[in-house]
Amino acid sequence: MDKTRMFTFAGRVLKNLFHKPATVQYPFQPANYPERMRGHVVIRIEDCISCGLCMRACPSGAIAVDRQAGTWKIARFDCVQCGSCVLACPKKCLHMEKGYTAPDIQKKTETFTKPAAQAAPAAGGGKPAADADKCVYCTLCAKKCPQQAITVDRAAKIWKLDAEKCVGCGICAGACPKKAIEMK
Amino acid sequence: MDNRSEIRKITMAEFFSAVVHMKTEGWRLAQICANSVPQGYEMSYSFCKGYQMVTLRLEVGPDEEVASITQIYPCAFLQENEAKELFGVQITKIQPDYRDKLYRIEESTPFRKKE
Amino acid sequence: MSTRSIVPFGPQHPVLPEPVHLDLVLEDEMVVDAVPSIGYIHRGLEKLVDKRDFKQYVYIAERVCGICSCGHGLGYCQAVEQVMGIEVPDRARYLRTIWMEMSRVHSHLLWLGLLADAMGFESLFMESWRLREKILDLFDETTGGRIIHSVNQVGGVQKDMDQGMLDDILRVTRDLEKDMKPVIDTFLQDYTVQSRLKGVGVLSKEDAIGLGAVGPMLRASGVSYDARLLGYAAYGELSVEPVLSTEGDSYGRCAVRLQEILQSFALIREAIGKIPAGPVSAPVKGNPDGEYFFRIEQPRGEAIYYVKCNGTKNLERFRLRTPTTSNIPPMVQLLKGSQLADVPLLILTIDPCVSCTER
Repeated sequence: MDKTRMFTFAGRVLKNLFHKPATVQYPFQPANYPERMRGHVVIRIEDCISCGLCMRACPSGAIAVDRQAGTWKIARFDCVQCGSCVLACPKKCLHMEKGYTAPDIQKKTETFTKPAAQAAPAAGGGKPAADADKCVYCTLCAKKCPQQAITVDRAAKIWKLDAEKCVGCGICAGACPKKAIEMK
Repeated sequence: MDNRSEIRKITMAEFFSAVVHMKTEGWRLAQICANSVPQGYEMSYSFCKGYQMVTLRLEVGPDEEVASITQIYPCAFLQENEAKELFGVQITKIQPDYRDKLYRIEESTPFRKKE
Repeated sequence: MSTRSIVPFGPQHPVLPEPVHLDLVLEDEMVVDAVPSIGYIHRGLEKLVDKRDFKQYVYIAERVCGICSCGHGLGYCQAVEQVMGIEVPDRARYLRTIWMEMSRVHSHLLWLGLLADAMGFESLFMESWRLREKILDLFDETTGGRIIHSVNQVGGVQKDMDQGMLDDILRVTRDLEKDMKPVIDTFLQDYTVQSRLKGVGVLSKEDAIGLGAVGPMLRASGVSYDARLLGYAAYGELSVEPVLSTEGDSYGRCAVRLQEILQSFALIREAIGKIPAGPVSAPVKGNPDGEYFFRIEQPRGEAIYYVKCNGTKNLERFRLRTPTTSNIPPMVQLLKGSQLADVPLLILTIDPCVSCTER
């Protein structure tokens, strides 16, 4: 290992002279992005229920959700492309798309508004309520709740909702094996 | 070899002799961490020897002075200056003392208060 | 007695990628004392645990530094998992190990390039970074990010790798190993490189322990300590052997890092051969309560993650002691007695990361 040589890199340098460059002419030759690349967040706004979980999951505070107006806003330049909102979304309407946000001369906020026809979607309206006759106190809804808003006590047969914490995402209703939960 | 972390509580009177003892036994200074607790501060001095790690936990009152360990472990100066600047722990005779100018911040002791 | 002069060095310097400032006390061309000062990029990220919950904080821990991001995410998650007593699924442990070793390769290749650049060996610098780009492409394919991977989460990992991806990793590492051969030979045998590195900045074994050096710096001085042997992630089931050198000079530190790249390739292959099938994350229930010091081996050396939790969703205290914090005091020791022309090179050989240090 310890011997000393001269011109150790000359071979490689000569090879480089007659090789095509390792780089590509970027803006003229588009870059190849792999499928998983986290470039920017896209939303299927028609599926959004304005629950606000993405807003609370965002570590940089780039997302703003307005329930009343039915809007979903993202400050593209605050977004750090971590994908936290995508994981948090109960409706899976958020997605990381490949390709970066285009550069700009000022910081912009993009706004998406829900279509008017869907102003009061079935799953997104109101809070869950359990039908005491059907409920078997299996605790599945409490386990699935992203906000830990539901407490179920099997022994005492109590099903309780913390209305403050509940965002009305409807996951509990979907998870219930007895279809005992209704969004009212 | 597992990633165990042993925490030994010590008092202010035992502190200096405990650190000297660590030095004579050949322990390496791993880290110094300050934390503000309701009754003042909590200083954690961690030492490593081989794959073992021991943390000495010292409770310090809000205005109590702590002697710097830079005389024993000269490499402690960066972390002691940091604890002094960010938490306001009264560490005396740090060699070299940056006099709260290590991080060049405007606010004094920003980490002291809990939010 | 000759006159002494003080030369300010940094934070902006042509060969220094990191914002660290030094006041060098010179006697003619020789450095007799050096006072380091940092503080140009302090962001107070440790304090942010008060405002972000412990699951969100993974993303902030990862963004402490670009090059060590994979390790910071991993170390933070493991510390919280220890406090909460979560058993991470086997497949997730192996995936973490594979990503961690890939990040070691890319960090060391980056360092080799910077070292070559500091010596003025431009073509070697470009070659190292050309090879590093292949690892970054692999990261892009498997995690979705070139530098910031965002795959670690409390309880496991977010994304699984399919067989195609594992095969790609095997293929690229095999090609890289072949391409690394001339680069390694150049670093270890070239006359120019040897005359810049050999005998420069010798750190004795006693000083390395006494001043708290970590990582390749410690191992180059002949101390056998590699935090991977603690057996976190899947390292307990793989054959990890600390790479040592006895010289303790810049050449030794370079040789240790070169060998570690080859060792990482072997570990990646071993991990892919052993990886079990199964889930990649465990459910996380409730909030953590307790405290823990967790050590991992970052490419730059041992890093310590301290978490103190109080049963709420916010941690009470998070502390990150990065490898560079520990390596700055030995660096000052190296500088004393060195020539002014060697100062940039000596600063580089500790592989400084000031962004990590200040957080």
